[in-house]
Amino acid sequence: MSAEPTFEDAQRELEQIVERLERGEAGLDEAITLWERGEQLYKLCVGRLDAAQGKIEELARRAEQTRP
Amino acid sequence: MSKVEAIQYGDRKVYAVAAFNRGVAEWLQRLPTLWVEGEVTELRRNERWQSVFFTLKDPNDGACLGVTIARSRFDALRLDLADGEHVHVFGRPELFEARGDFRMRALSIERFGLGDHLAALERLKKKLAAEGVFERKRPLPFLPRKIGLVTGNDAAAKKDVLATITTRFPAARIVVAETLVQGPLAANAMIEALRAIAAAPEVDVVVLSRGGGSFEDLLPFSDEKLVRAIATCPVPVVSAVGHEQDNPLCDFAADARASTPTAAARLVVPDAADLLARLDRTRTGLARGARGVVDRRRERLAQAHDRLRRAPSLAVERKRARLEHAAGRLRALSPRATLERGYAIVRTHDEIVRTTSAVSSGVEVEVEVADGRFGARVE
Repeated sequence: MSAEPTFEDAQRELEQIVERLERGEAGLDEAITLWERGEQLYKLCVGRLDAAQGKIEELARRAEQTRP
Repeated sequence: MSKVEAIQYGDRKVYAVAAFNRGVAEWLQRLPTLWVEGEVTELRRNERWQSVFFTLKDPNDGACLGVTIARSRFDALRLDLADGEHVHVFGRPELFEARGDFRMRALSIERFGLGDHLAALERLKKKLAAEGVFERKRPLPFLPRKIGLVTGNDAAAKKDVLATITTRFPAARIVVAETLVQGPLAANAMIEALRAIAAAPEVDVVVLSRGGGSFEDLLPFSDEKLVRAIATCPVPVVSAVGHEQDNPLCDFAADARASTPTAAARLVVPDAADLLARLDRTRTGLARGARGVVDRRRERLAQAHDRLRRAPSLAVERKRARLEHAAGRLRALSPRATLERGYAIVRTHDEIVRTTSAVSSGVEVEVEVADGRFGARVE
């Protein structure tokens, strides 16, 4: 993987993987590989969301302090 | 009284200056006695002079007319006239022969009365309305960088407006131009002040303010030149003159009219407290919106993750089921099922016996049934 995918790209790929797995199209070995990739994408997305949430809370806290 | 006689130079008739003036003066005397309206300026009265002099000025275009009146007559009128006052003068045109000065010989002077004022105002109002002077109504700025305040140098009125503006919006910046707001010189003074303050840097709106007063006190605010200056002022003007029932013409020309200083303040500045509250609500909404975005993503991600977790075992289960199905079919196809129904397989020398000719009497065979095998002999 060259560059980190964006949150949206990662989310989209994850959902495509889930659909592919659910349709049962993948071979067993491929299914395992897809699952691993899916988990990896999930972690990446959660990390992004946590970072975003942290930033929002930090900004909200700072805004609260500067309330006139 | 000298006669108007010409001197003959050949064909040419020539008049001496005195004769010419006399001729014109006599001709003027034939004109009727009439009323002329104007503003008194340059009033000169001296105990040693027989006459009182003043200039009658047309307030609209500045045309001037010299007026003389016998001092005794003037004093008898007890008018106590001041420069700038509006009057009606009754008299007739006259030439002061010694100087060739044209002027009006006044017999009587009347100060412009309330009825005259009302009639004049009504006429002026109609005229200005017809010209469209009252039609320009520009929106006031939401938050002016600076507010120009044209007001009388009477402390109470000024303080009133300043206080109401700063109470409503403490950070308001106000430029004050103090000026005459009453008397014959007020209109011109206010025009000057208005021009100067509208041209001051960053002034985005001008408030013209004056406290209550008598009809005459408020007359300068109906002055035609002032009304026009307001209508053509480069920045919007708020008229805050007198009380609710007063309707000076400046009210009609201004972009907005306020009946009290508080109303004027409400027009020129937003309420800071209200603004802050709204801003605060917006900011809260902003944080809520940002959190909402993350929350929705998180939920969608959680759903995808749930499905991902279930997907591999689902895939394995499905494959297992397919495998079982295949195994079932495989088993169904195997002879074992047939044996269970009571059939047997007979072999000799590991060959399946398919015909009677394959065996003969006394031959040993092997019989396979559902649960095992046993030996037998052909008879």
